[in-house]
Amino acid sequence: MARVFQVPAGSSRSGARRAAGTPAGPAPAPARASGEQKAGIVAGYLAPHPPHLVYAENPPQNEPRSTGGWEVLRWGYEELRRRLRAHRPDVLVVHAPHWITMVGHHVNCVPNPRGISVEPIFPHLFRYHYDFRTDVQLAEAIVDEGASAGLVTSALREEGVRVDYATIGALHLANPTWDLAVVSLSANNNPYYYSDASLAEMETLGAATRRAIERTGRRAVLLASNSLSHLHWDTEPELPEDMGVERPFTHAQYAGDMELLQTIREGPTSRLRDAVPKHIEATSSETKAGSLTWLLAAMGWPAIAGDVLAYGTVIATGNAVVEWVP
Amino acid sequence: MIPAALVPAMPHLLAGDPAPSWAELATATRTVGDRLRAAGVDTVLLLSTQWFTVLGHQVQCDARLRGRRTDENWYRYDFGHLEHDLAVDTELAHRWADAIDAAGMQARRTLYDGFPVDTGTIVASRLLDPRNQGRWAMVSCNLYADPSAMAAVAGAGVRAARDLGRRLGVVAVSGLSSGLTGRWITPAEDRVEDVHDRWNRKVLDAIRAGDRAEVLAMSPQFGEAAQADSQFRAFAFLDGAGAVDRPGEVLAYGPIWGTGAAVVWWGNQEET
Ligand SMILES: [Fe+2]
Repeated sequence: MARVFQVPAGSSRSGARRAAGTPAGPAPAPARASGEQKAGIVAGYLAPHPPHLVYAENPPQNEPRSTGGWEVLRWGYEELRRRLRAHRPDVLVVHAPHWITMVGHHVNCVPNPRGISVEPIFPHLFRYHYDFRTDVQLAEAIVDEGASAGLVTSALREEGVRVDYATIGALHLANPTWDLAVVSLSANNNPYYYSDASLAEMETLGAATRRAIERTGRRAVLLASNSLSHLHWDTEPELPEDMGVERPFTHAQYAGDMELLQTIREGPTSRLRDAVPKHIEATSSETKAGSLTWLLAAMGWPAIAGDVLAYGTVIATGNAVVEWVP
Repeated sequence: MIPAALVPAMPHLLAGDPAPSWAELATATRTVGDRLRAAGVDTVLLLSTQWFTVLGHQVQCDARLRGRRTDENWYRYDFGHLEHDLAVDTELAHRWADAIDAAGMQARRTLYDGFPVDTGTIVASRLLDPRNQGRWAMVSCNLYADPSAMAAVAGAGVRAARDLGRRLGVVAVSGLSSGLTGRWITPAEDRVEDVHDRWNRKVLDAIRAGDRAEVLAMSPQFGEAAQADSQFRAFAFLDGAGAVDRPGEVLAYGPIWGTGAAVVWWGNQEET
């Protein structure tokens, strides 16, 4: 697929942007009392966001009601929630493909995003009332580090931008009580022009995210809000949660997902540098939006295996819940 | 004879300090609005490729879409803050959804408080109808269905309007080539890269010549070589309405942040 946005890291063009409008760096990190747990990235999760999973759960924040469905994936998320708690993070940092920014990588720096997110593609499944707290200091630090690394970046400070379902979906499914601070990153791609994210830029953004987390002294959990194989139906059954028709789009799509997950389960993550682009080519994987590459780069491509907590299809797309603990 | 137009989707047309190309495209879009009113159009069938969907064909059934959109990419500019107040011809919308179902496709009637109207729809409607006097019937652009599905959807809309005796206009809100400039530029820097520019001109030449078959035949290649907006489903939609089997008048063409954009009008042949 074509890649529209190919501004090389450190180019003079992005340098001009840097000078024009990036914020000053954040205040120094709060000192941690001795005995407190170590700062840094404490875990990373592949946390797919199909709105169907939120819909199926019937949480109070979401208006539509369902009779359930997609249980195995949701049980995987229940396990994720238990593990996430045990990591005792300060903040959840999420990269999501449906906050689509055509120019650059944006970070939500609004202190308290709130409102209703009626999803234009799935309004019958997802009308979610959100109200969360941003870790503004970390958010600004990511903008700053990204810009210093030569990326085109932007700090969103305007109230009123609707938070997308991929951001809300991953955050809700990982932490439905929303009692942790959040940093939300956009995806620099453009589906109606069929462009993919530049995976090279996601490496740079991941490294910048890591530096910002270290600089601010946070214990962070990262969420890569991506599905896997991404061909799917273009119509829907009468009952959206009709599991009688839920299945992979093709065997090839399923097999492509299994090959990737096998590589994840075996580790080390460095093998995914080749495996992810190959998987995108084979399955039109949503990881083309870059969230998974961002996550692994932020974690420094650790020499570990990932733990696959669940796999299932949603309107035929492949979805896996995966944990990496460095 | 249904009057029809292709107009751009990008919000830069509403900039307070526009690039020359943005201003020309905006003026041309206003001209299209004047011509639709002069033609006595009751309701405009509208496709915006920025309302992209993946399941079935969503038809907007809310009678009044009033609100404010803060664009998730352009929020730092004046044109990233968009008020809208749109009157929907709900009788036609429901009839259109029924006709889509009857044609063997899946219509999805969209009626939700707080539904986010896309930037393309708002920009086009504000320029076409600055006094909010018009009525609209809107459908989403399914990116997973074959482009020809948009033709069938438009055909269903025309049949529904005919049943109701509406005087119809048809408008597709879409860009041409992509090549969006991936950095923050000043309006004066805006240009379409050469390969994309050649493709856009080739397509516009075929449109001027009224050669709909040629435009349809080159659309897949246009999509591939110039990453045309939504694989140029906009033209398939206009074609399905039977509106582009005559020469189109190119009122403006130029860059918007590196993408190609044009305003094209298909009216009476004597006019064009
Ligand atoms: Fe998605």
